[in-house]
Amino acid sequence: MKAVAPATVVFLCAGLAPLVVRDAFLLDSLVLVLIWGSAAAAWNVAGGYAGQISLGHSAFFGIGAYAAALIVTRWELSPWLGLAVGALVATAIGLVVGYLSNRLRGPYFVLATIAFSQVLLIVGSRWRGFTAGSEGIPVPFRPGFWTLGIADKRVWVWIALALAVLAYLVQRYLDRSRRGYQLVAVREDEDAALSLGVPARWLKVAAICVSAALTAACGALWAQYIGFVDPFYVFSVDLSVKFALAAIIGGLGTALGPFLGAALITTVETYLRAQFGGLGTGLIGIYLIVYGCALIVMVRWVPHGLVGWIGEGLRRRAAPAAR
Amino acid sequence: MTALPQLIVSTLLLGGVYALIAVGLTLIFGVLRVVNFAHGEFLMLGMYLAFWAFALLHFDPYLTLVVSLPISFAVGWASYRGVMRPIVHASHNVQVFTTVGLSIALQNLALVLFTADARFVRTDYYAVVVRIAGAAFNVAQIVAFAIAVALTAGLFTFMRWSYTGKVMRATAQDRDASALMGIDTDRVYAITWAVGIACVGAAGVLLAPIYPVYPTAGLQFVLIAYVAVVLGGLGDMAGALIAALAVAAVEVVGSYTIGTAWKEVLYLLLFIGILVVRPAGLFGQRGAEALGA
Repeated sequence: MKAVAPATVVFLCAGLAPLVVRDAFLLDSLVLVLIWGSAAAAWNVAGGYAGQISLGHSAFFGIGAYAAALIVTRWELSPWLGLAVGALVATAIGLVVGYLSNRLRGPYFVLATIAFSQVLLIVGSRWRGFTAGSEGIPVPFRPGFWTLGIADKRVWVWIALALAVLAYLVQRYLDRSRRGYQLVAVREDEDAALSLGVPARWLKVAAICVSAALTAACGALWAQYIGFVDPFYVFSVDLSVKFALAAIIGGLGTALGPFLGAALITTVETYLRAQFGGLGTGLIGIYLIVYGCALIVMVRWVPHGLVGWIGEGLRRRAAPAAR
Repeated sequence: MTALPQLIVSTLLLGGVYALIAVGLTLIFGVLRVVNFAHGEFLMLGMYLAFWAFALLHFDPYLTLVVSLPISFAVGWASYRGVMRPIVHASHNVQVFTTVGLSIALQNLALVLFTADARFVRTDYYAVVVRIAGAAFNVAQIVAFAIAVALTAGLFTFMRWSYTGKVMRATAQDRDASALMGIDTDRVYAITWAVGIACVGAAGVLLAPIYPVYPTAGLQFVLIAYVAVVLGGLGDMAGALIAALAVAAVEVVGSYTIGTAWKEVLYLLLFIGILVVRPAGLFGQRGAEALGA
């Protein structure tokens, strides 16, 4: 239970914040941190726990965003239904992608996932008859919980928090269950795991499916919250990298890491945009330069992320006391 | 089929430049065992070099090429020393994210320094078209093709007959054995990386008079290069050359039959198809993808 305590505190704080905080900007940031954190946690299920490093996860995010937006605009149904449809479609596609790319390892898998998200980018931006093409889809605002037309950001915090807790619990399941241990075994040495009778192939596919469904759910909520779906954003490689970066900064294969990472990069992004955004439109790239450098530095010097780093610091402090 | 000569000519002209990009990428993979996800950004930097030399100093892009080769080689060498050297022996994940991080940083450095505006190198001859036997040639494309072929041939010669080339091939075959034979593998990696970057930088200079220059300009070309490199077998230079022409043919025929809007889908699906059916590529060793090597 020790490992769960920090997470309980973090999620409780997030859940209670709307009762105290009235500032719309802070609440908005909190909603985004929770959504990006959930997406990073979803990525972590495949990338961190299963070792299936994907740079095409924006494809699943985009599927969720489009499913919710299209169901609302084309059939005038509830975005909640869109969320479910998006998650189902993403699971089905995750099944196909995971199955087909099963024997690919390392850079080959990365290339396959990038190519896959690029295909969806082209479909999303060129299939004008169905997706409205490169103009994107504005999501209409219809008041009510069922239509997710919620102006009150406090309610959004709780909705996003529910998703975040779900993503966290999925990871906790992997931390503690037999399946989770098997998955880590596959990540560390697939051949050894196979020889011990671990069903490596299906575990990897299952991890990608769960990851895809969660990512799509994030995409659906994000589309409803922001109110606009732009194919060049939701299917971009940059977005996939953002999920991966949050998980890496927080700690690959740790349950709380992705949320810490997302909180950090969202804060840094907002800060740098506020600092440099006013100086000229060209300077909006500054936070991305920081992202890029952070990625290089983190994988080299802090491979276990913030969670690993803090954990190590705590252990080192605890060790002399025990002696 | 009156369009046939035109399709063949377009394929060759396009494929020549793709080959130069792909050969550098596959060379780096063959020796360092690293997929360079920042390859497109070095292409973009080459394009900007041509643009600024043209805009500020009124250098012709083909004159810029002479200086661009040593400059891109130096940039390559420096980026190896600064970024790549510590991770040559690291795990795939670390390598992937290091080059991805380099790609993001370079791309946005260009965005901050040069803004997102699309820029054009408007030489006097950019619109000059030559017609032979029913096929139209753009002069800039012909020159780009000729120089790209010459550079690729030069690289092949270098790899085949020079001492450094032999050392690079030996390191590609077995890095431990090479080190035991007294080869300074670290230096070989630096040279390989720098040569690969010099190739793609030169390709950038050659493409600048034909295509608009903007910070993400590298992406469309490098995606094609990935397709070519995997199709030819990662690390296989001759394979990459043939595959670059094959991908160019798919692109040209695709634009002709189903239109330019959807042509990218064609080669991306081809790419996914190869990865699924035969990830080692047409000429690569079977099973390489499972070893990740």
